Amino acid sequence: MKLTRRNFLAWAGLSAIGAVACDVFQESELGTQSPVQLPEDLVKGRDNWYSTLCRQCPSNEGILVRVMEGRAKKVQGNPLYPVNLGKQSARCDGGLQALYHPDRIAGPMRRVNGQLEPIEWSTALDWLKHYLNDRGDGLALITQPQRGHLGMIAGRFAEAFGGRYLGFEALDQGTYRAAVKNVFGQDLLPDFDLGNANRILSFGADFLSTWVSPTRWSVGYGQFRDHLEGIHIHVDPRFSLTAANADRWLPIQPGMEGYLALSMAQVIVSEGLQAPGVDTNALTGGASLNSFSPEQVGPSLGLPEGILHGKSPAEFVRDLARDFAQNGPSIAFGGDSAAAHTNGLFNLEAIYALNYLVGSVGQKGGVKFNPGSPLPDLPASAQVGTLSDWAGLVDDLRGGGTRLVLVHQADPVHGLPASLGLRSAMAQQDVILVSFSSFLDETSSVADLILPDRVYLEDWGDDIPEPGPGYQVLGMQQPVVNPLSDLDPRSFPDILLSLSQELGRDGILPWTSMQGALRASSDALFAMDRGSVSGATADEFWNNLLRQGGWWDQSEIGPSVRAPDGLLSRIAAKGAAPDYSGVASDFHLVPFAHNTLLDGRNAHLPWAQAAPDPLTTVTWQTWVDISEARARQMGLREGDIVRIESSRDVIMALVYPNPAMPPNVVGVPLGQGRQSGSGYASDRDSRESSNVLGLLDLREVDGSGGLAWASHRVRVVPTGQSMRISKFEGSYPAREIGLTSGEEVFKTVGGAGH
Amino acid sequence: MVTTRVNHKWGMIVDLNKCTGCQACVVACQAENNVPINTKQAFLEKRAYEWIRIERYWEGEYPNIKARFMPVLCQHCENAPCEPVCPVFATYHTDEGLNVQLYNRCVGTRYCINNCPYQVRFFNFWHPTWPERFHNQLNPDVTVRTRGITEKCTFCLQRLRRGELKVERQAGGRLDDQKLHQGNYAPACSQACPTNALMFGDQNDPESQIRPYFDDVNAHNIHHEDERETRGYLLLEELNVKPNVVYLKKVEQFPPGDGQGNV
Repeated sequence: MKLTRRNFLAWAGLSAIGAVACDVFQESELGTQSPVQLPEDLVKGRDNWYSTLCRQCPSNEGILVRVMEGRAKKVQGNPLYPVNLGKQSARCDGGLQALYHPDRIAGPMRRVNGQLEPIEWSTALDWLKHYLNDRGDGLALITQPQRGHLGMIAGRFAEAFGGRYLGFEALDQGTYRAAVKNVFGQDLLPDFDLGNANRILSFGADFLSTWVSPTRWSVGYGQFRDHLEGIHIHVDPRFSLTAANADRWLPIQPGMEGYLALSMAQVIVSEGLQAPGVDTNALTGGASLNSFSPEQVGPSLGLPEGILHGKSPAEFVRDLARDFAQNGPSIAFGGDSAAAHTNGLFNLEAIYALNYLVGSVGQKGGVKFNPGSPLPDLPASAQVGTLSDWAGLVDDLRGGGTRLVLVHQADPVHGLPASLGLRSAMAQQDVILVSFSSFLDETSSVADLILPDRVYLEDWGDDIPEPGPGYQVLGMQQPVVNPLSDLDPRSFPDILLSLSQELGRDGILPWTSMQGALRASSDALFAMDRGSVSGATADEFWNNLLRQGGWWDQSEIGPSVRAPDGLLSRIAAKGAAPDYSGVASDFHLVPFAHNTLLDGRNAHLPWAQAAPDPLTTVTWQTWVDISEARARQMGLREGDIVRIESSRDVIMALVYPNPAMPPNVVGVPLGQGRQSGSGYASDRDSRESSNVLGLLDLREVDGSGGLAWASHRVRVVPTGQSMRISKFEGSYPAREIGLTSGEEVFKTVGGAGH
Repeated sequence: MVTTRVNHKWGMIVDLNKCTGCQACVVACQAENNVPINTKQAFLEKRAYEWIRIERYWEGEYPNIKARFMPVLCQHCENAPCEPVCPVFATYHTDEGLNVQLYNRCVGTRYCINNCPYQVRFFNFWHPTWPERFHNQLNPDVTVRTRGITEKCTFCLQRLRRGELKVERQAGGRLDDQKLHQGNYAPACSQACPTNALMFGDQNDPESQIRPYFDDVNAHNIHHEDERETRGYLLLEELNVKPNVVYLKKVEQFPPGDGQGNV
């Protein structure tokens, strides 16, 4: 075709129309969205979800574990489980790292000439039988606090040998238990209906981080925050995570919590602010609480002027009491450092008694009590050793009354004050220590024989949660995966059961395995024909029980509780000021459980080490929270290494100048300071990783026998050394290339804090 | 297997009145998404990977001091500043409102990281390593990012795909006529959060619990912030990047230094 002007214009026009048309038709291709499929877009294989129990912290939450091709991939809260209702803590996922940890003990080991050497299981069990036959009478069996079947089996096993069974927890709840018993007459810990409360008054207990059942409390706390007018006041000498979340934090003089609570009680009684139907005459026994009036007590509470806003301490306490009494439902509870003074039992009793005055005992938005175990003989509460129990054990080890110690997954050498001397008592020639730990820790590293247990995701178990949700619950733990082929652990309860049969001590331990024991209990529940699990046959019931993750019966609720007559006057009679021990110094030491490491039980898990402390954002290290103003006065800066000296020992820690710490308090987290076992726990030196429990005196809480771990004064002494703190906050100092005059080409820009 | 898609627009509510700063979301995210282990050295170098992080701010002075917690994750912006600067289209916006990173396209220019106002993109300066046994835990649905790759929050896209599949299976057919309702799918952080401070949902679903907050924020832009009926606001709203994450203000009973002191 001849190219004429007319043809050229026609073709040009057609091309333009074509281009526009093509553009319309292919619009999606011109967009930036990628036609490439992400690997995440593809669903590969099918996964299975198994319900079981978490054992990363003492509350043993219900979890679902995602399993693909025989490997556990993810832990999530079990939405059906009444305690945590599908939610989880920052510790739960760590179970996966425990399961696949590179430092798991692969098989049994025996100490020969001071060194641990691998041996066969048959040899190891022969040795254990030999020890039990030779020196089993009077043995000591130590586990983490255990309820349900494991608690029962361990207790009966120790009983069969005439020995003792002790649950170990570093910051024991013995004083809390004693207070619950004395105030409410209950053996089981109560539940708190935070979701329906309008006023929450907490003392010391870091319940949003580590105290007792933090995930359950956090679920309730979220509901509490849904109604926006609720007010939470936290009384605590240390600025904890809970204090940070409270609407108001009252930094009280350490150990004076009970005086504040009783003073509030005095205001409520004297001004007639008690809830309708509350008989204050019966509660006080006719006695006067006037010696605890705000005017008497207020000045000694140590409340800083800044929070009083021009009021006198007495006026402040009076207003606090009025608000608490008049804006219910109100709830008061306490624990942690409030319980860990010499007068800790008095403190807690005074705090919990407030609930009677405001009518919140057994009521919506108040304290709820739990029924006992659904099955006879199955303990709903853990048997936990007090300081006097541990001191008794040390005496028996030294005196020869106990020559065999069996320890399962507990680390009392690390978690008890070094001044108790447990390590040296266990290390005596005549004492045999057998560990059932899956990992080396301070206790298992001095063991004579190690029989590694299965990790809980590989093993059977159960739990009666404490506190329960106010009705009967039995949680079930099932193996979700098999151990890896290069590991050869064996189930601890199965070993106890088979040994008791072989040694003829099976009179009270009739089962051959933990699974068998659980199945027998399942059949008993099936026969009861009530609760959340159904099934036409016992087999179907068992399958449904495992699928659901447990059994619960919402109709089987806790008891009603009536206030004991004269309760307040009895508590008032116990009133005593805290007795501080230690060195001449104005620094009070408040140790606290680490948000993810807790007392150190999770120190070998990298996720737990790397999860920043919520307040300081410090990771992997031991720090000391010290008032920013005091640090400035002492010439201390962040990262300076200080010696913390008590009357017992010295540790080192890195300074974190904390703007929220009271000037007379230092806080040091538990959890670090491990010298044995996994490198994740032990590869830092003593300047940045130390165990604060080493500083403690052996002081008891009056009336409960618990360890008064918050009653110490310490000195803080600069060493002149410093180290960078491994923390999340702040930014790396950037270098800006400037165009400034002279030689100032590079200048450092200070890191902006969060 | 590739699932079919329906018309969603995902979004998240972060209720600062409920966040306690407990770190459950942070660890859950790391477990779900094969995030490398944050060693001590990583923190010292300020190169820790946290697809979701809890920022902590101090406010006031002792004793009237508060610590504020703010979870910060990818805001999945509609006008995402990270998207247009990528020379290879490795970061893009899906039609469900997600800002996603194509790892096999990324060439590591880090322009997106520079341009992100929220600092939620992370560059792999090294090849991530885990002890051999930890490989057993790695999520097979999530790519392990190699050296030279930028990574970020995906709102747990892999869980979305599994959620879709679950709905398809339950419905016995394709997803086209099914809505993926709230509850079938939640990112790991939202699922873990004990106080329910992280609420996830579909902005297109009128029944969704997050919808009213997005409607409110969208109806009253930053120039009419005072007219909002909810506590909702957007992080760095003045940048107009249109995040798909709405924050709810903390309710302050006693503002620091208010001088009232009434309890």
